[in-house]
Amino acid sequence: MEKKNNQSFFVKSIPFFEKYGILLLILIMVTVLQILQPDVFLSWRNVTNIFKQISWQSMLALGVFMVIVTAGIDLSVGSIVMISLMGLAIASKAGLPWYVVMLVSPAVGLLCGLFNGLGITLLKMPHPFIMTLGTLYIFRGVGNLISGGVPITGFGDEIRSIGNGKIRLEFLLGEGAKEYIPSSLILMIVIFFIFWVFLNHTRIGKWIFAIGGNPGAARAAGINVDRILVIVYTLCGFLTGIGGLILAGRTNSAYPNAGLQSELDAIAAVIIGGASFFGGRGTVLGVFAGVLIMGILRNGLNLMNVSVFWQQVLIGSIIIIAVYIDVLRRQFATRK
Amino acid sequence: MKILITLFTAVSIFFSFGSYAKTIMLSTKGPGAGNPFWASVEAGAKDAAAEFGVDLIILSPPQESDVMAQVAQIEDQIAKGVDAIAIAPTDPNAVAPILEEAMAAGVPVVYIDTNGINEGVTFIGTNNINGAKLAADYICSQIPKGSDVAILQGMITQTTGQHRAEGSNKGLTECGMNIVAELPANWDTAKGMSVMEDIITGNPNIKAVFASNDNMGLGAIEALKNADMLDDVVVVGFDANPDAAASVAKGEMSATVAQFSYNMGYMGVENALKLANGETIPDNIDTGTVLVTKENAADFM
Repeated sequence: MEKKNNQSFFVKSIPFFEKYGILLLILIMVTVLQILQPDVFLSWRNVTNIFKQISWQSMLALGVFMVIVTAGIDLSVGSIVMISLMGLAIASKAGLPWYVVMLVSPAVGLLCGLFNGLGITLLKMPHPFIMTLGTLYIFRGVGNLISGGVPITGFGDEIRSIGNGKIRLEFLLGEGAKEYIPSSLILMIVIFFIFWVFLNHTRIGKWIFAIGGNPGAARAAGINVDRILVIVYTLCGFLTGIGGLILAGRTNSAYPNAGLQSELDAIAAVIIGGASFFGGRGTVLGVFAGVLIMGILRNGLNLMNVSVFWQQVLIGSIIIIAVYIDVLRRQFATRK
Repeated sequence: MKILITLFTAVSIFFSFGSYAKTIMLSTKGPGAGNPFWASVEAGAKDAAAEFGVDLIILSPPQESDVMAQVAQIEDQIAKGVDAIAIAPTDPNAVAPILEEAMAAGVPVVYIDTNGINEGVTFIGTNNINGAKLAADYICSQIPKGSDVAILQGMITQTTGQHRAEGSNKGLTECGMNIVAELPANWDTAKGMSVMEDIITGNPNIKAVFASNDNMGLGAIEALKNADMLDDVVVVGFDANPDAAASVAKGEMSATVAQFSYNMGYMGVENALKLANGETIPDNIDTGTVLVTKENAADFM
């Protein structure tokens, strides 16, 4: 009798863990790190540091997430970060007003994404891997060509306000309070909310999931798959451009190595966040959690002065473990 | 004694000159485990830390191109409350804002190895212009005036690359050499080899090449070997890494310039500590260079 109850509890708990298991993982990580670094880890300064560190990468991850939902891949986002950063820097040096300069980065990103999307659909590339592998080189090359391969430094405070802005909490905590909320955190929350609504509550959003889950059926249902793909890659580029804008604020510099290999971080965050590499499955909250897990892990290991070699080993292990747990869950579900 | 302190106590200790052991962060461009240069910087820093009774934290990004990893590490250590930072900036421009933030929070900074752009920060490292000039003077002493020579430049976006290009160009021009090529090969052996192949093709009478680092120099040697020209061409590198020292001993590379990377770590920690204790230090501290030829190559292997 008792056994039966246990089992039904276990079965009932599966959807709960499927939805919130990753948040549980974050909770465990936070608890462990707080015990190991009691005075530092949950300090205001450190928590805001984590969000500042993940904010630009979260934009890339969100873009790549949509692409992966369509069963595609975008390898060029690291280079799009760099080229949009260079575009912003050149616009800034040309003396354009700050509100125009700030639009340049997302605009360049959007155009790069459009280029990817059109290339994949019009040229009928056998897989997006190939198109975006090509543009991984092309975008970084063009970025270096327009900048002459040298870093361009020094933007105005307005331009830096997204990546470096601080919303001081003096009005809440009284005069002289040093606590602040990074503006990049607010932007991140707003954008993730907008894309959550877009993917879950609009027709196009549902189609994006549909073409990833079953492209044949989606076509048969009258969805213009190519057009949706172009939209998805364009949005991915656009979000990456926003990532470039955040990075501009953080570093005050457009530098040739910006975003190098960050496409791999973005893909890792999406996979850790539970999205299926075969498309059609994943959640916006999961992406956020995936980015956060990588951010917390790196931050915690930095605080404990752990060598970056271990950071690489741990992040790699988490990718494999996260996906293996998913594999087990699916085996269990099909057996039921 | 390891004391974890918040920012506020860090600041108050900074002003009270308390008797706590100071914590100093050494931020290099790559792990010492993968690179003898950084290994010797770390060794110098550890010796200084032991001598002056300092808690030393050594962190580095996985590779030099991962600029944001270095920024995050500094950010995290400021939150944890270090007393001073000695940093070899991966990208001087991109790390400038976080270093500005460090100094604003009362954490003094010194650069080691590579100079940065933050104002009023002391640079402790090789004077690369002088070092490259030393290499150029050696080339001038080995071949007749007016010979064709080439320069393999490093990453010309970095001050180190610019200074070595500048110093070598100055030295070779002053003694009347004919510089036929000045091309970047981005510190890379394979690139050094392919750039050298192109230079040989266009300039068969080349008599000497200065490579802004040893890796490119070793690449150039491979290219010259393949073209059967190594006996006629003087190759001078920079850094005196163990491979290059071995090559000098074998008589393939003619000479290389040694930096005292150990000094960078040692003097970096020593001077960061002085700043943390409220003392003042000079703006530039030269860690010195020396020419490595067949006579002294064994010391660097």
